[in-house]
Amino acid sequence: MELKKRLLTGTPGRLLVTIIMLALAIVMIMPFLWMISTSLKTPTEVFKYPIEWIPAHPTWEHHLKVWTGPKSFGTYYLNSLKIALIGMVGATFLSAFAAYGFARIEFKGRNALFMLYLSMMMVPPQVLFVPKFIMFEWVGIYNTHLALILPGLFTIFGVFMLRQFFLSIPHEISESAFIDGAGHFRIFFRLILPLAKPALATLAIIDFSWQWNDYENALVFLIDERLYTIPLGLQNFILENTVDYNGMMAAASAGIIPMIIVFAIGQRYIIQGLTNSAVKG
Amino acid sequence: MNNHWMRRQRRLGYVFIGPSMIGVLLFFLIPAAFSLGLVFTDYKFMNPKAGFVGLDNITRMLHDKLFYQSLKNTVLFLAAVPVSIALGFVVAVILNQRIYLKKLLRALYFMPYITSGVAVAFVWMLLFQPKQGPINGFLRSIGIEHPPGWLSTTTSSMFAIDIIWIWFLMGYNMIIYLAALQEVSPELMEAAKIDGARPGQLLRKIIWPLVSPTTFLLLVTGMIMTIKTFGIIQATTQGGPGNSTTILSLYVYQNAFRYYDMGYAATISWALFIIILIITAIQWIGQKRWVHY
Repeated sequence: MELKKRLLTGTPGRLLVTIIMLALAIVMIMPFLWMISTSLKTPTEVFKYPIEWIPAHPTWEHHLKVWTGPKSFGTYYLNSLKIALIGMVGATFLSAFAAYGFARIEFKGRNALFMLYLSMMMVPPQVLFVPKFIMFEWVGIYNTHLALILPGLFTIFGVFMLRQFFLSIPHEISESAFIDGAGHFRIFFRLILPLAKPALATLAIIDFSWQWNDYENALVFLIDERLYTIPLGLQNFILENTVDYNGMMAAASAGIIPMIIVFAIGQRYIIQGLTNSAVKG
Repeated sequence: MNNHWMRRQRRLGYVFIGPSMIGVLLFFLIPAAFSLGLVFTDYKFMNPKAGFVGLDNITRMLHDKLFYQSLKNTVLFLAAVPVSIALGFVVAVILNQRIYLKKLLRALYFMPYITSGVAVAFVWMLLFQPKQGPINGFLRSIGIEHPPGWLSTTTSSMFAIDIIWIWFLMGYNMIIYLAALQEVSPELMEAAKIDGARPGQLLRKIIWPLVSPTTFLLLVTGMIMTIKTFGIIQATTQGGPGNSTTILSLYVYQNAFRYYDMGYAATISWALFIIILIITAIQWIGQKRWVHY
């Protein structure tokens, strides 16, 4: 018992558990590793078993095919970037505004309006697809980027998350500013927003990753190939190159690698934001 | 500071939530009301003669075999949620111990959740390739002569989708559990250890009950999230083979944008809403009953 306990908690035990967990973690990210490795292989090497993780004859040919040629991923990239960036900035800012109202101003009907927000979280996007499709058709934004950008400016999750954060800022801070004659606008811009920078960054990153990965809305609202975002471009590529497995994986890399980079940079913020909104929400 | 000024300041609340409210109105409330109206019509895209049909769509749905099949598939899809929660819990408990490379490990386990859109669904499609794919290659190499057909057969397709979904959700559950484990008081753990509790007992009798609110929350939010998705299925199988992976949310999409049968699509989408409503109701009631603090 004593020995077993020492082995499990002492350095050898720690090392052993670390190695096991690391091995499992590598299994977790194997799809990514396989994707990158395959994108650099020649067609005959794709399904060789045992898997050659490091290609014997590495080639950039498939990546070149994805990035150049008539249907270059460059266009999809610019489309995705445009939609995700505008959405991210707009959604973060508008959410901050609304969250401040809900968290720090007592006005008539506030709780009822907040309940309304809450209830909208339960409505599945599928309920909204058809009416949005018809409405967008009417106003002429169906099959334009506006069909994704405009709804993307509003995130109910974002309002929740930031409201949670604003509630945690002590009231004394704004009260003393209030006594000095500062109004809500000044308090919001001068005091609260600077304090909320980490929370804003969190929301911005999470929102960006959602918009970047959004496939379902793009599928419903875009038909013109020139307007395609990365997920749609990818799908298109795969439909047109059904047997080019290397090309598919090069295309998938084009969609996934930017997210891995965003994740590597913003990991701390993402984790913080998700845990705050879940555990305390 | 006079009362007038105070009142005006309070009214600024509407200005702050105003812009966001407009969005909620335009992109949530009005479409939702519109959609509810569509339930009672036979609206079809490009057929302007939509008429009031009463409860026809609802009757049709209740007699639609494919609706029940999708309902069943949705339940099978939902089965991934508790599995991913259990795995997330185990990994979180281990990562919460004193081990090396904690941050790196946490990041690696979490990576699928944040980086995955449909792109990764295409990767899985190849990994699951029944004849030559690496997963079956591996299974054959360890002596399984007839590995499953994964996404390509009606009996295994939903199971394969579940694997992708578990892989995707697990890291999120782990992250939330890690945060919850931080709140478990070290004094309590020490006291239990001094009283001679073994690690297994600590886990079962102290940690698991203490994180039960988190488990419950993950179960509910995970289920709601799963019900709302169809991207990975549309990308990999489009609901096939033979409707074996058509889940409700995908069935709505197919009716609306493949058959342009929009009144009927709206009807099914509200069935989806009712399921979410039931899950939320269970959450409200259950939080009081089943969660031990």
